[in-house]
Amino acid sequence: MHLAADEQRMMREGTPAERLSMKILTTLGDVYGAERLIPIASAHVSGVSLKTLGEPGLAFLEEFAATAKVRVRTTVNPMGMDLDRAAEMGVPEAFVAAQRRIAAAYARIGAEPTFSCTPYLVGNRPLFGEHLAWAESSAVVFANAVLGARTNREGGPSALAAAVAGRTPEYGLHVAANRRATHAFDVRVPMRGYRWSLLGLHIGGIVGDGVPYVRGVTATEADLKWFGAALAAAGSVGMFHVEGGTPEWREAGADRLSGTAIAEEDLLATRDRYTTGTEPDAIGLGTPQLSADELRGVADLIEKHRPKPRVYVFTSRTARAEAGDAAKRIEALGHVVLVDTCLEVAPMELWAKTTATPSGKGAIYLPTLCGQKVVLEDLEELLRRFA
Amino acid sequence: MRFAGRRVVGGRADGTVLAAEKPLSLLGGVDAATGAVLDPESPIRGERVGGRILAVPHGKGSTVGSYVLYALRKHGVAPAAILAAKAETILAVGAVISDVPMVDRIPVDALRTGDRVAVDADAGVAEAPDLVEKHVVTAFLEREGRVLVVRRSEKVGSFRGKWSGISGFLEGPDPEAHARREVEEETGITDVALLAAGPLVHGRGDDTVYAIHPFRFAAPRGDVRLDCENVEYRWVAPHEMAALDAVPKLEAAYRAILPGR
Repeated sequence: MHLAADEQRMMREGTPAERLSMKILTTLGDVYGAERLIPIASAHVSGVSLKTLGEPGLAFLEEFAATAKVRVRTTVNPMGMDLDRAAEMGVPEAFVAAQRRIAAAYARIGAEPTFSCTPYLVGNRPLFGEHLAWAESSAVVFANAVLGARTNREGGPSALAAAVAGRTPEYGLHVAANRRATHAFDVRVPMRGYRWSLLGLHIGGIVGDGVPYVRGVTATEADLKWFGAALAAAGSVGMFHVEGGTPEWREAGADRLSGTAIAEEDLLATRDRYTTGTEPDAIGLGTPQLSADELRGVADLIEKHRPKPRVYVFTSRTARAEAGDAAKRIEALGHVVLVDTCLEVAPMELWAKTTATPSGKGAIYLPTLCGQKVVLEDLEELLRRFA
Repeated sequence: MRFAGRRVVGGRADGTVLAAEKPLSLLGGVDAATGAVLDPESPIRGERVGGRILAVPHGKGSTVGSYVLYALRKHGVAPAAILAAKAETILAVGAVISDVPMVDRIPVDALRTGDRVAVDADAGVAEAPDLVEKHVVTAFLEREGRVLVVRRSEKVGSFRGKWSGISGFLEGPDPEAHARREVEEETGITDVALLAAGPLVHGRGDDTVYAIHPFRFAAPRGDVRLDCENVEYRWVAPHEMAALDAVPKLEAAYRAILPGR
């Protein structure tokens, strides 16, 4: 790899954390055939919840943080708990103490305490064409597909290294040719609500690490958030296109691709495949965290249907501040709104054995990370059925 | 023999191989304090990685798995080196932060647990003093969608009684010319047309690593006339190859030269 003079200096004379960061980035660059490092506009780091970082990661992070400072704007993923509510929610003190150490280490290196998997909704919103180093697969796919920014699916460690070096190796989705469509899908069914999650799960299972191109739909930004999160969890997807709906669809080169038809049976089969439980003792809303608008919508639906199982709503601190009244209405009916954490990294296993959710990404991670059986279903249908 | 790969993280190490056989998930798959393999899907479950040359196709699972290698180093139970078929982010970053020498582009399925190996990651090579490399050509003759396989006689030096393509130890500088010669000697068929020549595939038998040069040829009409090296032949559909009692990597060598790879 070719390194500029200041990059060579950082590699030689930087702090231990800077030298290690440069070694991580140049090693990845060599492995993936990058010729150079490119400056990034922001970094977003995963491996913040105790569940995903673990004790080994915490040990690394504390040593690393002693000599690290971020060079670019850096936001961080959700923690394992809303620390303001930990005692009330029965979360063990040892968990809270370790989680506080993780948060302190990220603060020490200068990362913003956003604790959100939707950085693009809490102030770190990339511009078209900007290069980024983002981890958190749902945010990566949103930044690439919906905003037209450019980032690979970084892991926690490589995003951290990029934050400290202010650079990332130029390969993969930073290169225009790799953003072109590899698979096309013709959607022949009406799309709304959680059906976007089903579509994401279904297509993600087909394309692997390809770039899907979807025809026959119109989507809101919120729809694409749920679609992308499910897509990126079911496959190693970092980019997609919606014909007429995402900024790079004209450059996707999809004319040469014949489309695979998506029918109602495909969506129903997907729902059934991920539904492993029947009677939920909790309803989990998040993964990704809800926006302020979604929080208001949920408050209206909960008041309308009065569901029996407790509803756990996961959102960002920013969205709760914006829709504080909605959060109060939800909690007034005995449900709970948590910030700084999210559905799959929170200790749902302390509170439930079967969780119902409309989130496709949630349906994938709740069994493995939280030991849950899952009921995957439309939000309003869930609230009505279990009222 | 010497395995030539690519340096991922520099350094040198001597040791014996722990062959993972399948992609290994570090997070949840390896105990960070003891180095014991926990992954229930791994054939090496219960083995310890500490001080050994870990040979693994590639990593899988969560990207924070890299931190497990760092913890293994802190606990003094890191692998001495990593050999991989294909480096990816999890293993490469893990090797960097734990300072474990790593080489990729190594045909790890030719390695077995217990093989002695000296890794020189700076040069991107791994020397296995007890193993011998032999180059062979294997020709797959095709006719009407079926592939010719032959069963080796009791007169040949290795893999007696096993099903094989038309094969022989490589002689001379031109593998394709040698493959054509083998076809003529072993089947009596001449004038075959080359369909594809494949990348090297490595197979293992005892202390020998076979570097297989695979070829696909279209066979014209005409009877197959076996010589003394084989006792039986069949034209099989490609999907039937996996079920044969065959020489190492027969099906893999065929798949390696199919189009669309």
